[in-house]
Amino acid sequence: MIRNIMVVITGFTLSAFAFPKIDSLLTYIDGTYSMVTDVKAKVELTQQKANQGTKKLEMTYYRRDTDKSFLIVMSAPESEKGNGYLRMADNFWMYRKNTRTFQHINRDESIGGSDAKGDDFEGRKLTEMYKPALDSVGNEKIYDDTLGLIPVYRFELAAKVNDVDYPKKIYWMRKDTMIILKEAAYSQSGALMQSAYYLKYTKIKGRQIAVKTLFVDEFEKGNKSVVEISGVSIDKLDDNIFTKAYLENLSK
Amino acid sequence: MNYLFKISLRNLFRQKRRNILLGIAISFGTMVLIMASAFSHGISDVLFNQIVVYVAGHVSVNFSENGNRFMQVFHDGPRVLEMIKKEVPEMRSVQESIGVMARAIGNAKSDNVVLIGVDLQSGDEKDMEDAEKNFKMIVGSFNDLGDSTIENPVLLAEQKAKYLKVKKGDILRVRYKLLNGQDQASRLTVVGIFKPANVFMSAPVFLEVNRLKKVLGYGSNDIATLFLSLNDPKKDAVKIADRLQGLMQPSLAGIYAEIAGKDTSVSVTVLGYKSDTTSRNILKSKITLSDSSIKITRESVFMSDSLAAVLKVKVGEQIPLTYKTKYDTVNGTGYLKVSALFKGNALIPSNVLLVNDQDFYKVYYSNWPSDFRKETGAFVPAEKSGVYPILTQQWNLLQRVKTTDDLTKQMREIGLKRIRGTSISIQSMYESASSVLNLEVALHMITFVAVMILFFIILIGVVNTLRMTIRERTREIGTIRAIGMQKKDVKMTFILETFFLSFFSAVIGTVGAFAAMKIMSMFKIEANDNPIGMLLSNGHLHFAPTAATVVGYILLIILIAVVTAYFPARKASNLSSAQALRHYE
Repeated sequence: MIRNIMVVITGFTLSAFAFPKIDSLLTYIDGTYSMVTDVKAKVELTQQKANQGTKKLEMTYYRRDTDKSFLIVMSAPESEKGNGYLRMADNFWMYRKNTRTFQHINRDESIGGSDAKGDDFEGRKLTEMYKPALDSVGNEKIYDDTLGLIPVYRFELAAKVNDVDYPKKIYWMRKDTMIILKEAAYSQSGALMQSAYYLKYTKIKGRQIAVKTLFVDEFEKGNKSVVEISGVSIDKLDDNIFTKAYLENLSK
Repeated sequence: MNYLFKISLRNLFRQKRRNILLGIAISFGTMVLIMASAFSHGISDVLFNQIVVYVAGHVSVNFSENGNRFMQVFHDGPRVLEMIKKEVPEMRSVQESIGVMARAIGNAKSDNVVLIGVDLQSGDEKDMEDAEKNFKMIVGSFNDLGDSTIENPVLLAEQKAKYLKVKKGDILRVRYKLLNGQDQASRLTVVGIFKPANVFMSAPVFLEVNRLKKVLGYGSNDIATLFLSLNDPKKDAVKIADRLQGLMQPSLAGIYAEIAGKDTSVSVTVLGYKSDTTSRNILKSKITLSDSSIKITRESVFMSDSLAAVLKVKVGEQIPLTYKTKYDTVNGTGYLKVSALFKGNALIPSNVLLVNDQDFYKVYYSNWPSDFRKETGAFVPAEKSGVYPILTQQWNLLQRVKTTDDLTKQMREIGLKRIRGTSISIQSMYESASSVLNLEVALHMITFVAVMILFFIILIGVVNTLRMTIRERTREIGTIRAIGMQKKDVKMTFILETFFLSFFSAVIGTVGAFAAMKIMSMFKIEANDNPIGMLLSNGHLHFAPTAATVVGYILLIILIAVVTAYFPARKASNLSSAQALRHYE
């Protein structure tokens, strides 16, 4: 944490009246937002689709970054209760309670029939996926801006790997607290596809966790999702949790 | 003999009412038989040449990259196309087929659609005729699909246009996944709205295939799934699929590249290794790592210690490489991160860079390299070499399967095993579209059984009538036998009489069948989204009579009638004159 803050401060100092380096901001975000410990949390996803009403999903989410494992256990709606998704290293399974079977699925498979996908729950670092976008003269695209009345840095990122959903992203970051307030994702053709608004944060052991986020589908107006996280615990999780047997036992 | 003809013909006209009724029965039977056969052939024609050819191809060459069935791409496209054109003379045309799921937004309405590519260049005249038949344009022109001055021109069915509330000239916005998995949005221009010829054409949005490839991120040498249309699919499909399987055998993949170090650059042979556990264990036994504590993983990249010393490269560093490509004048480039050093040996010499299959294919497929085996300084391992089985091939050719179930199983396994590189599967319509073909077999069977039941009912009537005729004419037989007619002539008279009756009736029945087919196919059936509509051709019943079957059925009917008449005729001819003359009813 201290190292991350130092990186940003160094970025500021070196560029006195200029903007911080985007790379240093990305390193800071990765350091502040990512979990080095295990995580357990309750996740509530409310999805609203144009002309289709609202769908609500509730799940318990377990994550362990040391071996890239995570487990999602669905608790609502009733039709999804007991189903689960288990990721262990390169393997990703979907568990169906009714048939008591595990099925191999892709990372981009939908979770509980929602717009959320398996890879949304992975803890990939921003620095691994994106780099600063440059303007025509080679300067990083970072500017002063305000979001409402809040002074922010607005900076643009370009994908450095192909396996990301969006090749271009713009972030709005609070200048005072250095937390992200908004994120806009663009397609290769330059169309705005999705905006994310980080509405509420909580701080656990010095790390910022966005506990309420609003995702707005900018392509199909009227579609939006709210993700709310509660009961966050960073205590060490039992190794047995990230096993098929654990998921099976839950539905007994 | 001549008089026998005269007697037979005269007898036909003697019993006019009975023979007319019997003739009508035979005509009707012939008519039903020919119509049913023509309808059945029509269904086959629609299924084979208007559905299977577009849905699965008579023969198809399918690609999937890294076990992802949605990544239908092959990067050495020109080579495959050239080979198919040269080696498959039975082929009418080969077309690329792409289908991608997308979310479309029209005027305040959205829906899921499938973006389908229409190949306007590769087809022959028949393909163009079929395209025009299938796309009955309500507004706009089919040819506008290829208009390069319009932004992504598309055609869609009237139902879809109505649902999305779009008209000609309107913009349709679509969201879909690019080949690399990224979300993309594009604007499509509606240039025409058509009436779908079958149920399969109601949902998709059609774009010119090259335009679709471009918006999906295909490169200039990339091809999608290939559908081959054959002149005689029933006869040739399996044979050609087997032939292509033999021709598509991959060879060892390698890149002869220049890698740059701190001060110097060196030419090396880059080889990929299969990253499954068994292959990694074999590799472990074949190379000696400089640091024995390092494990061979799915992500490893090995460089020899001597090469690392020359290039001044350390473990963990990223090295750039450039190589000659097969199609471009500009060199291909890539980056690899060295994860361990090994000691060069006879199996893997020090001028080899050994790369995990995932990273290897990433570079290899980014710009297809020229054949490394032709480079003088390149290391080409012998096929008998101990490491050869674990080295990556240019692609992974899947085994031919026999049924659709086997095919589904095979596809699932590829996904589960996450096979790296491009998997190629060659299928004939009997594996890929067996459900459609089973439908054809079932319809043939139903038609055959129904016709046979009807035909036998008619046949029983004919037999009965013939027996009655002979019985009624027993005294007449006695008379002609008494005045000297021979037994065989008596028999022949009855047989010829039946022959003429069945011949004239069958001919009339055939004419009637053709007239009825013409009339029935004139009526337009509005099947809309009803699946039965797929058996229609442009909303009309489709009859496809063939000369061979028409002649065959006429001969069959005559033969059955003659055989049926033979036994009563023989019985009549065996009667003695006295006995026949005594007969009284």
